[in-house]
Amino acid sequence: MLGGGEGKDFAEHLASCESCRNEVSRIGTLWQSLDLLPLEEPGGRVRERFYEMLGAYRQGVASAEPRHAFHWWQMAAAAGLVAAGLGIGYAVRGNMQPPAEVSQLREEVANMRQLVALSLMQQQSASDRLRGVSWAYRAEPSDREVLGALVSAVNHDANVNVRLAAVDALRRFSASPETGRAALQSLSKQTTPMVQVALIDLLVDLKDPEAAPELRRLSGNETANEGVRQRAQWALERLQ
Amino acid sequence: MNRFLIVSMMAVLGALQAPAQNPVQNPAQNPSQMTVAFSNPSQPRKLVVKTMMHRVSIKGYDGKDVIVESSAISDRRRRERNVPPGMHPLNVGGGGIEVAEASNVVTVSAEKMFGGGDIQIQVPVDTSVTVNTVNNGIGVENISGEIDVESVNGGVSITNSSGSVMAHSMNGKVTVALDKVAAGKAMSFSSMNGTIDVTLPADIKANLKMKVDNGDVYTDFDVKVTNDTFDTKESNTGNGVRIRGNRTTYGTINGGGPEMQFTTFNGRILIHKK
Repeated sequence: MLGGGEGKDFAEHLASCESCRNEVSRIGTLWQSLDLLPLEEPGGRVRERFYEMLGAYRQGVASAEPRHAFHWWQMAAAAGLVAAGLGIGYAVRGNMQPPAEVSQLREEVANMRQLVALSLMQQQSASDRLRGVSWAYRAEPSDREVLGALVSAVNHDANVNVRLAAVDALRRFSASPETGRAALQSLSKQTTPMVQVALIDLLVDLKDPEAAPELRRLSGNETANEGVRQRAQWALERLQ
Repeated sequence: MNRFLIVSMMAVLGALQAPAQNPVQNPAQNPSQMTVAFSNPSQPRKLVVKTMMHRVSIKGYDGKDVIVESSAISDRRRRERNVPPGMHPLNVGGGGIEVAEASNVVTVSAEKMFGGGDIQIQVPVDTSVTVNTVNNGIGVENISGEIDVESVNGGVSITNSSGSVMAHSMNGKVTVALDKVAAGKAMSFSSMNGTIDVTLPADIKANLKMKVDNGDVYTDFDVKVTNDTFDTKESNTGNGVRIRGNRTTYGTINGGGPEMQFTTFNGRILIHKK
């Protein structure tokens, strides 16, 4: 927080300087969007590990030699270092480029979201993988790694509910030409009717004209599920 | 003092592990029953069941082992005993059921295309349970671990439980009643042709995603709807009106929380407050 006089100066400067005003509002929205990120719950072992660490630390402290008392010159040296640090910080601040910092922060947030989505999608627990798929909605629409992980979930995840959610999440990446191609390839491989129907709906929403031959094959396939065949027929009408 | 505590804890752990030679089969018990111990009962446990024709019922109980009961087991025992005098078994049909334990996962599989009947399994309450059936239903009762069930033609029913649930049935109904929910866990319920009927604790915090095609969503919860789309624009085809909504409703209960997804094409969605 700024002191009374500084706060007033700051407000006055903001009123007169447009670029600073923009900067302040940009940083404000960034912090707001950071607030939107849900809190990560610590896993069950965290508490255990913390107490293990604390125990080890206590033992270490107990066995260490008694500490020396501070001498006046140590205090003086510390104060000097603090002063020097402040001075350097003040000097460097003039050269700082806030916009570059903001975009770097933004990139770090995107990387973190990518990391969370990718690592959750690798978990043993189907419930965790489902959470990973939900995190994919927070990734950048151009994020090819998250798109790849979703496609792999649609094709290979053992759980139907995770596969269904992953098909829905592909809509986030509908601008990428890879999405339609992957959905089409997956449709020919899927055997679970509900996932097949979800993929057909996705292809219709993507208005993918290349889907027609596969849809025609599926609608004429006597061994396919009746609901899937009807959906494929309906999709063909929509795509024409 | 601390060191003594650790040593005594290790002694207790060692004592717990000692009797766990598995699979333990007690010949004195019911001939259609088989008991299997987990190799490390203090660690997370999992039960995996795969069957084509059987109905699977799983119940949490106050014990450490997995108890499997099925007529397929007595059939198997009968075949194994039925050795003609002077001969030894070379290739004996197993009665269609396999039970095995490896690294704290007990697997029960009965993947033959004939037979049927029930497989009843008792597990410790906090076991995680994964079940896949094809032509028959699944029942899960009193489980607090992760519950992950899928059936093609049978209904799926989860009652009196408090873990996290992922449930799917292609042609059957999905019924889930949870007394409590595991914090921070995402859940998903889906059926192509059946109704999804889920009962949740009144104080649950959740983000809901409800997707229906030819049905409706009903609830007695105070759901704050955040987005509702009913895609009717292009449902008017050349030959009369074809109603097909890609209808997804998003909402929150009690301010929102982990994601819960409900998806059905031809059934309806019922979300009850417990």
